[in-house]
Amino acid sequence: MNLSMLKPGESGKITKIGAIGPLKRRLMDMGVLVGEDVKVEKVAPLGDPLEVSVKNYKLSLRKKEAEGIAVEVL
Amino acid sequence: MSVEFKVQSSESVAAGFSLRSAKKTVTVAVAGNPNSGKSTLINAIAGTRLHVGNWPGVTVEKKEAVFEYEGTRIRLVDLPGVYSLSPYTQEEIITRDYLVHEMPDAIINVVDATNLERNLYLTVQLLELEIPVVMALNIYDEAEKKGYAIDAKAMEEALGVTVVPTVATRKNGLYELLKAVIKLADHPASRHPKKLNYGEDIESAARIVESLIQDGYPSLAEKYPQRWLAFKLMEKDDHVQNELTITSDALSIEEAVRHLKKAHEEDVESIMADARYAQAAGLTREVLKRPELRKMELTEKIDKIALNRFLGIPLFLAAMWFMFKLTFDVSKPLGDWMNTMTSGPFKRWAEAVVGLIHAPSWMSSLVTDGVIAGVGSVLVFVPVIFAMMFFITFLEGSGYMARAAFVMDRAMHAIGLHGKSFIPMLLGFGCNVPAIYATRTLENQRDKALTALLVPLMSCGARLPVYVIFIGAFFPAHAGTVLWSLYVMGIALAIVMGLIFKKTLFKGEAPMFIMELPPYRMPSMRSLLIHTWEKGKHFLIKAGTYILAVSILVWFLLNLPWGVENKKDSYLGQVGQVAAPVLKPLGFGNWEAASSLMAGVIAKEIVVGTMGEIYVKTTGEEKKTEQPAFTDDLKELGTSFGAALVDSAKNVFSTLKITSLSAEEDEQRAGLKSVIQSTFTPLSAYAFITFVLLYMPCVVVAIAMRQEFGTWKWFGIAFAYQMALAWLVAFVVYQGGTLLGIGG
Repeated sequence: MNLSMLKPGESGKITKIGAIGPLKRRLMDMGVLVGEDVKVEKVAPLGDPLEVSVKNYKLSLRKKEAEGIAVEVL
Repeated sequence: MSVEFKVQSSESVAAGFSLRSAKKTVTVAVAGNPNSGKSTLINAIAGTRLHVGNWPGVTVEKKEAVFEYEGTRIRLVDLPGVYSLSPYTQEEIITRDYLVHEMPDAIINVVDATNLERNLYLTVQLLELEIPVVMALNIYDEAEKKGYAIDAKAMEEALGVTVVPTVATRKNGLYELLKAVIKLADHPASRHPKKLNYGEDIESAARIVESLIQDGYPSLAEKYPQRWLAFKLMEKDDHVQNELTITSDALSIEEAVRHLKKAHEEDVESIMADARYAQAAGLTREVLKRPELRKMELTEKIDKIALNRFLGIPLFLAAMWFMFKLTFDVSKPLGDWMNTMTSGPFKRWAEAVVGLIHAPSWMSSLVTDGVIAGVGSVLVFVPVIFAMMFFITFLEGSGYMARAAFVMDRAMHAIGLHGKSFIPMLLGFGCNVPAIYATRTLENQRDKALTALLVPLMSCGARLPVYVIFIGAFFPAHAGTVLWSLYVMGIALAIVMGLIFKKTLFKGEAPMFIMELPPYRMPSMRSLLIHTWEKGKHFLIKAGTYILAVSILVWFLLNLPWGVENKKDSYLGQVGQVAAPVLKPLGFGNWEAASSLMAGVIAKEIVVGTMGEIYVKTTGEEKKTEQPAFTDDLKELGTSFGAALVDSAKNVFSTLKITSLSAEEDEQRAGLKSVIQSTFTPLSAYAFITFVLLYMPCVVVAIAMRQEFGTWKWFGIAFAYQMALAWLVAFVVYQGGTLLGIGG
């Protein structure tokens, strides 16, 4: 299960960040860390990107970037 | 509460310092997350005294101000907004390099009190640098409104920094902030940034690396904060490694972190990020009390509609329509006024002055047709640049820019662009110049460059007069369709070129789209105006100089050798004759067309004017109008400015009305129309206007690109591909049409 598969309104706990290099570091810098709860808030009108809330703020990322974030549905 | 202080007029700290050596200068760097209100805070403290420039070698904005406060001279340096000090974005590298190499006396860390944990992640990294920190706990009013209670005292204790609650938009707390900075500068020993404990396995590895540095590289140990250096070497930070070349000890460092990596089954960079966030999270838990029940916030309510599946795009397009109309409609009367003034009274005054000193006629022509016309062409852009900067700043400051990117990203990403690219592209339809400046909202250099390369394919307003005259002459029955076809062709080619560039020039991974959607906030008017003013001033000075130089150059080309009767013999005409054969296969291989196109590089609408001059030889019988008196000119200056202002204001309210496309038909235009009817065929006319649509961007765009990118490279690429594209498309239109027997 990865973050891109969650539907708006669903939450998950991050179990692994599969990305590497700058993308991984950027995600972590933005608070997307293993063990963190993340909720999918919205999908953009054209189907991509996603809006998620993490660490009490709103973040948007493309589905492709969300695919690398493994989650466990809460 | 208001902040009052004397501001030194001198920008040069060093010069001022040597004169009054009794005073010391305290250098304070301002660092913080994007959307933390950092710009507003700086604007509130330093206002228009801010000196805006670029960081050396890059196009990221650098703001600085020097002022005096309670006998201390403070030099404020604004660092780019960053989330972290990792070495992956230009902004992060600049921030880091500045802090590490310049070692300011103190850092003002602007922290968004409503978003404590993620902001503290940067604070934690700043503390590693061992520079004294004063924290501005900004947007404090909003945090209070949300029912947050933040224990500033506990935070001070835990971090070893001074914490001052601030509300930059209302100038609250800024006085205390500056006091705290001065106190810290006077007694640096009074507060040491705490060394936060990242956990025993990290700390022990760091100790080993630190001692490696101390033993092997004492000079480095002098130069850099040791703990920070140790962390960076453990993280294998490329940037630091390149700078230091500690190759011989790479293995020992690897050995030191081996245990750490094994225990966590992760790379050290991630382990460190985790440890830093753990500190930020722990501290947040300790100092922040949040109400149990969380209300639905205004931002969420707005986004329910603004980002709605069905309403999101229509609302976005409506917002863009308003911005576009406001930018161009509000600025147009003022731009026109500036144009009329320079070509009217200013020109007459200049003529009078030149006449007084009995200057030769070539000089009077140079002054009026070269210099004054050049100044005019700079001034025409001023209102639109100001208007655009104002709206872009508003969009960014209010938080809607991020939503615009969110809504449009899917479509723009398909051709290798970023969601935020949409706005510059859209502005391009009004004028490519502000569109190029608007690419600054894109953070990534690749996105920015690709957007700037495609912007000139958006058919700008200056191309319209050329279309109008040709369409009027050849396709009056299908005017709408033909005009529409040109705009669509520009967009279609932008998509094609975007795909080609994505596969060639910008091969490889598209930059990521990890973007905060900040809460909606009303930007302060003061901050908006200061920002707009700075940008406009920058344009006037920097771009203005170039534009003036180019327009003088074109004057020389048009009028030399001095006294040419026939424009054919002027330098421009001569160059046109040389270039004409190249345009032959496109159906307009004559020197008149070639010369007009060349003059059009100043601004595409000039193509029409030049054609008028070349084709319609009505020289010699210029109407002798009576010269208005000086006082009449002054009166006109004032009343017409008033009228322009009224028009601007009216246009704010009439933005829904579509400006009609009909160009005023004067005698010269009518004459020109009949001449082009006899020299062009409908097919070659269409080929000609497609060429005008596509060929090189005008000089002002070139200058804007140079300014935004700090190099001519991107303009060079734009020039080359557009020339090739224009030739190719016009060729296909003309030859294809001839083959099919259309309109020949």
